[in-house]
Amino acid sequence: MMLLSTLAFIVIVISAMAILVFRDWRINTGALGIQYLAVFALVALSWPVGMSVIKLIVGWMASAAIALSCLRQNKPDTSSESSASLIFRGLVGLLMIILIFLLAPDLQANFFPRLDLVIVQSGIMLIGMALVQLGTTSSAYLTIISLLSFLAGFEVIHAGLELSTLLAGLMVIVNLALALVGVYFISMEGELAPAPEEEGAE
Amino acid sequence: MNINTPILWVLVPIFMALVTGTLFQRRTLSLILSISTALGLTLLAIFFPEDLTLSLGPFTITFVERLAFLGRQITIVSEMLPLVALVYLATTLWILSSWVTDTPEIFRPTSLVVSGLLTAALGVQPFLYAALLIQTAILATIPALSHTQKRPSPGILRYLGLQTIAMPFILIAGWLLTGIFTLPPDSPLVSQSMLVLGLGFALLLGVFPFHSWVPMISESSHPNVTSFLLFILPTTILTFGLNFFDRYAFLRTSQDVFQVLRMIGGLMVVLGGIWAAIQDDFKRAFGFAALMETGFSLIALGLAIQGGLNWLLMLFPARAMAYWLWGYTLSKFEVHLETLNLQTMQGFARRFPFLSLELVTAQFSIAGLPLLASSPVKTALFTGVLDVAPGLGIWVFVGNLGLFLFTFKAIASLVKPAEQPMPQSWSKDEKLSDYLPALIIIVVIILMGLFPQIFLDPIRTTLTAFTQLQ
Repeated sequence: MMLLSTLAFIVIVISAMAILVFRDWRINTGALGIQYLAVFALVALSWPVGMSVIKLIVGWMASAAIALSCLRQNKPDTSSESSASLIFRGLVGLLMIILIFLLAPDLQANFFPRLDLVIVQSGIMLIGMALVQLGTTSSAYLTIISLLSFLAGFEVIHAGLELSTLLAGLMVIVNLALALVGVYFISMEGELAPAPEEEGAE
Repeated sequence: MNINTPILWVLVPIFMALVTGTLFQRRTLSLILSISTALGLTLLAIFFPEDLTLSLGPFTITFVERLAFLGRQITIVSEMLPLVALVYLATTLWILSSWVTDTPEIFRPTSLVVSGLLTAALGVQPFLYAALLIQTAILATIPALSHTQKRPSPGILRYLGLQTIAMPFILIAGWLLTGIFTLPPDSPLVSQSMLVLGLGFALLLGVFPFHSWVPMISESSHPNVTSFLLFILPTTILTFGLNFFDRYAFLRTSQDVFQVLRMIGGLMVVLGGIWAAIQDDFKRAFGFAALMETGFSLIALGLAIQGGLNWLLMLFPARAMAYWLWGYTLSKFEVHLETLNLQTMQGFARRFPFLSLELVTAQFSIAGLPLLASSPVKTALFTGVLDVAPGLGIWVFVGNLGLFLFTFKAIASLVKPAEQPMPQSWSKDEKLSDYLPALIIIVVIILMGLFPQIFLDPIRTTLTAFTQLQ
């Protein structure tokens, strides 16, 4: 169990960093999908596997919906982004990781004594990295990915506190609706962007 | 035959929203279905039988106030129906105005879904889960808010972000509060829970410093959609907040909590008033007026011991009418102009005298001008806050003057002749069908101001749903 939760925590740190640092939708949506795998593993520590697998399915559905919308809209990759901005976001992410390692034990002791430290660390890591991402982007699809990560972090912690079918059902609706809003935003931006042929013609 | 009240006021509007959403290209049919659904639910809430049985010839319908759902319950008790009636009356009015303005077609199904979800939020047990229903309603508003735009505006992204962040705070606070009954009042967990809960509500209500999305979406989205949203969301969230006061004795007996609420409310009125006064843009000014109104609601909550909860509820119908009027007139003006500011609308009263009068009346009504809808409640609030905290009362009064100042600026601009080669004379470029609906609402606003006991008092019954707050 300990090994599984530690592994899930490492996956969360790496995927959250990947979402924060890179702006390529392929990397972001892939990392989001992997992140939900780790979320599932952590939620399964508190909930029955049958219920916690809902988190995985919903997360993958959300990731797939966003990825397919980006693919359909031919969303341009941002590989031309300067290395300075990558390094900056990477450093901010590292700072956040250090901060969470420092704060999590106190938070666990004062607020969530019933939860394992790894669960608190994982949840706060997702929440913290998502908040940093929200603060450093004005892109609609990255905002949605950050909010999905934020909710995933909350779900990791809350699953350890309460088991409720209605809550799980409502969280499914919220996550899927958020992903649909993301699809809507991506399609709005896509309608504005010139088609590849037109771009070539120009 | 048994009918569950949550089916009527939650599932029926959501189902009808799906139907009207599918039929949105058949505008007239979609309009008729939306209006009849919202109006029907309003009338049913108003004339709901007290004994929960309705006899229609040989048929007898028995209403059941609960509906089991995924192991929990949604309860819509008859005491809550005045508020439910207001929610659906507002929905009816806004759907009607979407008919005569160029509101996005998606607004009609959206308004029904939002009303259904927010009504469910008023009755879900445990009440904490309302945060998730409110979040779902917020997500449903996004297409209607961003429909007229080329890309998602920063205001909408900020609105979505802040509202989504709020929901976990409410749920975590709820969990922290679970064992609070057994703790001494000076336990650090009590203050920690209150802090987390306060943060959640501050985010949801757009309390300073989380307010920036309010003027931003007010500026960028359709006025009819924004005015509906800025009415229905705070109304439901504030009523949901009453649950916490009802359930937790340490909240309703704490003088500190009420003092903090009054101070935050006062700060919002002052800042909103100053910002409104210096605005040029009518749509942004509306956003700041909405922030002031949230401030007044918080002050009313903070005056709970002096009877503030009654004033809080009585503010809702008055606010609904004024917001509707402001949204309607701005929607009408937006047909003629891309930006609605003091410069572009110069001389508009000379071409659109009735619509201009209606716009100014909406602003005066929100500001609490005597004889208009808000004035009886605002007067009571000013008196109450001056009694409890005279310094704060003076600040609130001064802050409220900000909206008056903006309205005087607006009148000066609307009446001043536009700069043209020839002096602009008075004419009438508006049709009766443009200004008649708003004129009717002005009459209602005046009647509300003159006879608050008839038009505003009935909503106070809602308070009886909260057994500890009566």
